[in-house]
Amino acid sequence: MIERAPTLVLDRASVAYGDVPVLEELNGVVHEGEAVALIGPNGAGKSTFIKALLGLVPVVRGRIEVLGRSPAQARRDVAYVPQADTLDPDFPVSVEQVAMMGRYRRIGWLRRPSAADRAEVAEALERVGLAHRARDRFGTLSGGQRQRVLLARAIAAKPRMLLLDEPFNGVDAVSQHALLEAIASMKEQGASVVVSTHDLAIAHLACDEVCLLNRHQFGFGPTEDVLTPERLRATYGGHALELRGDRVIVTQT
Amino acid sequence: MSWLDSTVHRAVVEAVLVGALGGVVGVFVIARRLPFFTMALTHATFPGIVVAAMLGVNLYLGGGLFGLLVVAAVLAFGRARGQDFTTATGIALSGGFALGVVLVSSQDGFTKDLAAYTVGDVLAVGTGDLVATGVVVVAVSLLLALLGKELLLTAFDPVGAAALGLPTLLLDFALLAAVEVTVVATVPALGTILAVALIVGPAATARLITDRLAPLFPIAAAIGVACALAGVWVSTLWNVATGASIALFVGLVFGVVFLGTAVRGRVRRATAANPA
Repeated sequence: MIERAPTLVLDRASVAYGDVPVLEELNGVVHEGEAVALIGPNGAGKSTFIKALLGLVPVVRGRIEVLGRSPAQARRDVAYVPQADTLDPDFPVSVEQVAMMGRYRRIGWLRRPSAADRAEVAEALERVGLAHRARDRFGTLSGGQRQRVLLARAIAAKPRMLLLDEPFNGVDAVSQHALLEAIASMKEQGASVVVSTHDLAIAHLACDEVCLLNRHQFGFGPTEDVLTPERLRATYGGHALELRGDRVIVTQT
Repeated sequence: MSWLDSTVHRAVVEAVLVGALGGVVGVFVIARRLPFFTMALTHATFPGIVVAAMLGVNLYLGGGLFGLLVVAAVLAFGRARGQDFTTATGIALSGGFALGVVLVSSQDGFTKDLAAYTVGDVLAVGTGDLVATGVVVVAVSLLLALLGKELLLTAFDPVGAAALGLPTLLLDFALLAAVEVTVVATVPALGTILAVALIVGPAATARLITDRLAPLFPIAAAIGVACALAGVWVSTLWNVATGASIALFVGLVFGVVFLGTAVRGRVRRATAANPA
């Protein structure tokens, strides 16, 4: 078996907004084609973790390396998928235009999308099952569909690393399935995926590794090893209940 | 004797220019929910115009430079305090206007001009005003044409734009500066208080007509030009204030289109519920 190249290296990294440290002592390695789930309660720093990988929040101690470069230098090959409900649904922009935004970096300043860009966008929308809605206004789609459009935008960018911030929140079963399929196909093509989620089942289903976060790192490693009742209880504090000995239910997210 | 020697001809050209300019810039103002910021800018440029008048320098220069200062201050405050954009805007609005009033009231015989600054007079624009408005139209059109897609992404998804490595602070400044020079260019025709009408109204009306981005620009520009021309026509016909006439037409067109789309929406829903 060929050794897969590391795409994300965390080495005793701490990130901070100004003087306030948000995440401390992050360690771990992610390889090509692997997916890692970020799991932790609200306010644990999951979004900050993703922003640090984009170089939007500074690393104050230690080191974060994305695709062998500093996060800010790696942006060209990294695609970010925000939560759909953070975007204004009244904005006059079509599904196709949103997906085209993923191509902007490649199109470059002062240029217009080419036929090749349009083809990439059409293919990306096809992959999330929304090609037939290309001409509709973004805001007229359901929450789950909007999330899929944002994933299509990321796919159109042809990234080597995909960062998703809570993509499964409030998403119906059809959209969840479409998102999982698209993420799996990105992995098959060698992209690394970092996805924050509240859903432990999805972490099991879609991810090879898990990073447990709550200001500090409570574990990083293969899903089976890390998603244990003890570690979840430690991460979620008093908000994790044990069911039948080996299962944990998280009561507050 | 040139065609532009006529007051009415100059007013017509100015009306077409500010109508189109306000409509086009307004599309971004509406999409980014900046009407309140635009309102604040109209008031915040006021002291700049007064100071320029007192010093005897170009009014555009005074209003424009002061407005850019306000844009920078609002942006810096919004960034530093974390997205608290409306607070900074509110302070700029009242503070700017108050400063203008204080400056005007400190000058003897200046109060009469106050009315001209606050409500404008498109029938009083000179050839120099036309040139200034024309320059702003060209500059803003170029900016929107060249940076359109980057401004679109920054407006729609600022974090996503930053994640792509776009200089979002610069792009924000470019857009707000475009709004600002539009305000300054519109002030001689509509005055500081009414300039906001031509920037917000036509684009808001166009937004009722279409959901698509590309047609928004020509539709808003057409509505702006039509309202501005109608205002000039009515004011020369009945000898009433031009700026106010233009603003009234803008409000009227918005109201009519709003009612029209609301009725159409009801009819559509009713037909969908009870297909014959």
